[in-house]
Amino acid sequence: MQAGLRFEQLTNEEKHQHFMERINRGEKIEADDWMPDDYRTSLIRLISMHGISEIMGALPEKEWVPKAPSLHRKLAIMAKVQDEMGHGQLLLRVAEDLMAPLGKTREDIMQDLFSGKLKFHNVFHMEAPTWGDAGMIAWLVDGAAIISQSMMLDSSYGPYARALKRICAEEVFHAQHGESIILALAEGTPEQRELLQDSLNRWWTSLIMFFGPKSAKETGNSNADKNIMYKIRTKTNEELRQEFFTKYIPRIWALGLTIPDETIHFDDDTQMWIYQDVDWSEFKQIVSGNGPRSQDRLDLRRRSYDNNGWVREALAAQKAI
Amino acid sequence: MSELENQFYNVYEVFSKKTDKSPFQHQFSLLAPNADMALVMAKENFFRRETVADIWVVKRENIRGLTQGEREMLKRMDKNYRETKGYGYLKKKWRDYNQEQFTEKHIMGGREESR
Repeated sequence: MQAGLRFEQLTNEEKHQHFMERINRGEKIEADDWMPDDYRTSLIRLISMHGISEIMGALPEKEWVPKAPSLHRKLAIMAKVQDEMGHGQLLLRVAEDLMAPLGKTREDIMQDLFSGKLKFHNVFHMEAPTWGDAGMIAWLVDGAAIISQSMMLDSSYGPYARALKRICAEEVFHAQHGESIILALAEGTPEQRELLQDSLNRWWTSLIMFFGPKSAKETGNSNADKNIMYKIRTKTNEELRQEFFTKYIPRIWALGLTIPDETIHFDDDTQMWIYQDVDWSEFKQIVSGNGPRSQDRLDLRRRSYDNNGWVREALAAQKAI
Repeated sequence: MSELENQFYNVYEVFSKKTDKSPFQHQFSLLAPNADMALVMAKENFFRRETVADIWVVKRENIRGLTQGEREMLKRMDKNYRETKGYGYLKKKWRDYNQEQFTEKHIMGGREESR
């Protein structure tokens, strides 16, 4: 920037250059800073999807609150459900500040979710029929989420990085809550071990899908490259998936569980895990709202939004007085 | 409902202090229709685990922050002339006169500055 020239007087090209210099220096962008339109839209896409996934992710776990096997387990899973909703609140707030200049609010996020325009994580479209699934979600789904979230702790967008810092601190509890359930089942009766193995079989494909396709080839578009260029994220989908394998496969094997993929192994030459890739057209179907529980969970969210409408109306009436 | 809700929510900034002795610190923001609800939401959103001694909620529209232009100006503000590090070059100059530069202690008349 030229000395003595006020920031507001810069041209858009100069502002863009100044913006890129800032993120390349590791500076954080704030909500009211100038930013390129595609930086804003990338962030809105990423953060509203993340925020709404936290909220939709609480739903399969919530199903297990009344059915938890002991009071202690019930309290712990309730705390986790509460955390997930809290994370949703934080992230929606970050998305809302980005959407404000476009004249959009939380109401638009909710309506986009209901209409299917706003997608949420593939894993939360799936069924969680046993207590083993409650454990598997907390252990491996949250484990996968920690890997992708901690990568973005140093995101170029300050408010997102600060929200993730709060979220990651609580994810540690979630992961340990999951380990506690998994280890209890793994050390239990043959039926309990079988329950656990069934659950792993059910979740494995979803876990591979969680990180997204390797490249734009599989689904026709990839926002990952742009997000890396803008330093919103630092690693590719495949790098994160490989990290997940390295972190969790030895533990899965140590518990005597079998991964439902006979081809999976670590290749010493390439230093990569070799695995059976999934059907990415199925992934597309699932996140488009055609997963086994997509519509049930969306209905639950709609009902809850409608059922609580009277609270908003009562408070609005009080405000008008 | 939509129009109503758009006017209904306000953005509140949440500040808190961890103990009686600590200063207030900004936590995050939230949406609420009034200050009382904002306090309820603040406890729910940010203090499920953390201990907290006091909480403030402030409507964002009541905060006058710096604009980006004003923040950019701050980066260009040189305040070295207010500090000893702005005078480090004197050491070499005094050497040219075969003199040592006075340390802070010397300047203060030989007394250690009490901290």
